[in-house]
Amino acid sequence: MDQLTQPAKLSEAEILPVLKQFITEVIGEEFVEDLDITAASSFTKDLEMDSIEIVAFSEKVKNYFGKDIDFTGWLSNMDLDQIISLNLGDITKYIQSCL
Amino acid sequence: MKKYLFVVPPFFGHISPTLSVGASLLARGHKVAWAGIQEIAAKHVPAGGEFIVPHAELEEHLPEIQRILKRQDDGPHISGAETLKLALEETYMPFCRFIMKGLERIVDEFQPDVIVSDCITFAGAICAYNKGIPCVTTTPVPPDVGGDAMSAPKVHAWWVHNILSLQQEFGIYTPQAIVNSNQLNLVFTSQTFANVPNAPAHMKFVGPVKGRPNETPFDWERLRKVTTPKVYVSLGTLLVDIRKEFFSKLIEAFADQPLTIIAATSPDIFKTWPDNFIVQGFVPQSELMAEMDAVICHGGFNTVNDTFVNGLPMLITPIAYDHFHTASLIEKAGCGIKLRYKRLRVNDLKTSMWELLNNPQYRSAAQRIRETFVQAGGNDKAVEYLESFAAEAKMVAF
Repeated sequence: MDQLTQPAKLSEAEILPVLKQFITEVIGEEFVEDLDITAASSFTKDLEMDSIEIVAFSEKVKNYFGKDIDFTGWLSNMDLDQIISLNLGDITKYIQSCL
Repeated sequence: MKKYLFVVPPFFGHISPTLSVGASLLARGHKVAWAGIQEIAAKHVPAGGEFIVPHAELEEHLPEIQRILKRQDDGPHISGAETLKLALEETYMPFCRFIMKGLERIVDEFQPDVIVSDCITFAGAICAYNKGIPCVTTTPVPPDVGGDAMSAPKVHAWWVHNILSLQQEFGIYTPQAIVNSNQLNLVFTSQTFANVPNAPAHMKFVGPVKGRPNETPFDWERLRKVTTPKVYVSLGTLLVDIRKEFFSKLIEAFADQPLTIIAATSPDIFKTWPDNFIVQGFVPQSELMAEMDAVICHGGFNTVNDTFVNGLPMLITPIAYDHFHTASLIEKAGCGIKLRYKRLRVNDLKTSMWELLNNPQYRSAAQRIRETFVQAGGNDKAVEYLESFAAEAKMVAF
C-alpha cells in the first residue's frame, strides 16, 4: 500500500482506514489485534508508538498521500500536551488539509 | 582532606555510582556524606561515610514522597511525552522542593568543600549556588544531547521554563539553568559509547565506577555445574509491576532451550520455575557477570555498564524513560540487539538470543566498548577530577 497513487480530495472516513493499515504494518498484526483503532485512538498512549515507529509511519503517509505532507515537521511544532493528546482523528484532519 | 557531599535521588541506579566514587574518596582520606530523601540499606554505604536523610524537615512531605515513588511504576504504561512530564513536573521538581530545607541544614552542619549533585537532584546544585559552594554534577546515564523529544522547540522551551521557575522559587534569577554544573559533570560511561563526539569540555566521561560494597550471597556451586550458555537477566530495582508479564515471556521462550537463565528477580512471582532458570531476588551482579555469556535487560544503566565492563553482548528490551536512548546506542555500537518491550514476541526473543550467542560480531563489539570503558579511567579518574576541582575551587575562593 506504499505506492504513490493520486489521492484526490479524500474524506476523513476514507483516510482513516488507510492510516489503520499503515499502523498495522508498522507495529505488527498481532499487536493490533488487541487494539480498537478509531479516530479517538491516541497516537502515543493507546497505540504506544515510539519514535522509530512514528518515523516509519510518516514515511508510509508521505509515500501514499504525497511528499508535501511533513508529518514529523508538524509533530515537532507541538508542545507536550498536544503530543500527549494527539489522536488519529487529528492526523486525518492534518492530512486532509495538505491534500 | 576535603569534604564532599553527594546529593542523590531515591533511585538506586543514580545512587550506586556515587557510592563507588565515595568509597574511593574515603580511601584517599577525604570526608564523604550523602544526602537524600529516602534511606538506603546501611550495607550499601561505604565504611566511614554517612548517608543523611533530613527526616524532621521531610516529615510533612512523606505521603507525597511515597505517592510519587509509587507513581514511577506508571512509567512503562505511559507514552514518552508523558514520562517527560512525569519526570520533570511530577518527580524532579517536587523532590527538589521537599528536600531543600533539610539539605540546607545538612550543608550548614557538614560544611562541604564541594557539593556533588546528581543530574536530577536539582536541590544540590541550587543549594550550592545559594551558599557559594563549588558544585559538580554526576550523570549515571549517557546524556541524550539534543535528543529526539527535546529537539522539538516547544518541548525544549517547556523544560527551560520549568527549570528557571524552580530556580526563581529559591531566589535565583539568572537567565540560564544552573541545576547542572557547568564546571564539572562526571558521566559514568565512555564518550565513544555515549556517542557525543563534541561534548562540552566540562563533561568528563570517566566510564563505569566500581567498589560499592555488595556482600550478597549466591549459590555459586549450582552455577559451576551449568554446562549450557549462561544468560543473566535483570530488570533493575524499579519496575515491579511488569515482572510477571516479562518473565512469563522469558519462560515461554527459553524453558526448553539449551541455555541457562540467571534471573535477578524475586522468585515468588511464580510457584515454580523451569529447571534451567536460577532465580534470586538480589544478586552479587558484578561478580556474576564475569561468569555470563550474554545479558538481557531493559536498559537500566548499572546493568548496562556491568555488561560491557565484561564485554558481553546484550539483548535490550527498552521499556520507558532513557532506555530507548541507551538501546539506540547499543545498536549503533553493534554490541547488542534491541527488542522493544511493548512489542516483545517470544519467537524474536529466542532467535535474537541465539544470534547474540552464535554470531561473534556482537561479542567483539562489546569487547571494543569494554576497551573504551577501561581507557575512561573509572574511579581513579573520577577522584582525580574531584580532587583537582576541590583544589582549584579553593584557590578561587581565597
